[in-house]
Amino acid sequence: MRRAALALAALLALAGSATAHHTGVYTPKDNAITTNFKALKFSVQAGKFDVARRLFDEGPLRKEMQARAASLPNGLESRAQAALAAKDGPGVERALMVFFAALARDLAVEGERQLGAGADAAAVGPRFLEAIWRYYNLVDFAVGQRDAKASVAMRLAYDDAEGATRAGAADAKRLREALRRMAQILGGVVEIAAN
Amino acid sequence: MTERESWRLPPRAVLLAAVILLLAAEIGGASMARFKLDLARWARGQMLARPAVHGLVGVRDVDERALDEALFRFDTGLRLFHMHAEGMALVVIATTTTAATLARRPGVRRALVGALTLGGVGYPVGYLLWSALIPAWGVERSKTLVEWLIWIPFGGATIVALAGLLAVIAARIAGR
Repeated sequence: MRRAALALAALLALAGSATAHHTGVYTPKDNAITTNFKALKFSVQAGKFDVARRLFDEGPLRKEMQARAASLPNGLESRAQAALAAKDGPGVERALMVFFAALARDLAVEGERQLGAGADAAAVGPRFLEAIWRYYNLVDFAVGQRDAKASVAMRLAYDDAEGATRAGAADAKRLREALRRMAQILGGVVEIAAN
Repeated sequence: MTERESWRLPPRAVLLAAVILLLAAEIGGASMARFKLDLARWARGQMLARPAVHGLVGVRDVDERALDEALFRFDTGLRLFHMHAEGMALVVIATTTTAATLARRPGVRRALVGALTLGGVGYPVGYLLWSALIPAWGVERSKTLVEWLIWIPFGGATIVALAGLLAVIAARIAGR
């Protein structure tokens, strides 16, 4: 009996000492638009254009395209629809690339504006960069295939911006400059690909 | 079984505290399942009402990640309270029973039972408090507060008491 009690207590003591507090590990999730994009892209790659058309017609990506129509190239939505109807994979890819590059460009413009208005570079900067990269990263490969220089310039600008947001060494001026560069690069990608 | 070999129960107040903790864990778990959407909606509303606390910038594509992470932490705090409260309630009962059985000196026994009970019951409450504070204080600020107010003192008490219990066990094995 005494031995059993001793063994039980030793086990419990070991288990208890491992109860260091932890607060979970957060893994960023896709939002509705990026999820819809991925499903659409895989359907196109698999040649399932009927599925891709349904995903586009009923999905949040198209709704977002319509909501942001004013800041997107004219007829982007109808071009995407036409490419899907014609089973034109590269055409669909180009339309989606323009859309996400435009989303990332608008975020870079807004981030630069907020920093210009006095927002804290160390707090606000990483959030904008994360959101920009989340969208740009989806189409980086497509951008690189069409304009390798723009893809490399975007990566360099992003690295520079990231360096300018480090805690304790945040540099709002450098970050604004990097965001301006990003907006310019992405604006160029949108303009060239849309024409 | 002789008198010397039998288990000794800890004070009833200890058992009561452990059972209350277990009950709180079960009520917490059931409430999480029943009011999951209401809780998330309330927390989101509170966070949106305090954009500066959560570093929201007013751009949906930027803010959604911050809100998602804060809601994840809020939910995690509730889950960890449920799990730790369930586990620590049983740990309190088992360790205090062991301390009551093996610690010969009344002072040592009281100290061990007291620290194991306070630490074990107090520590899980930190997760509940953390969750409750996240919407108003933000993830990191509320975590720092709870760390210093609850996790470190109560978790520390448990660890020190367990080390003491180990010493008692070692002494008994050595035949002292």
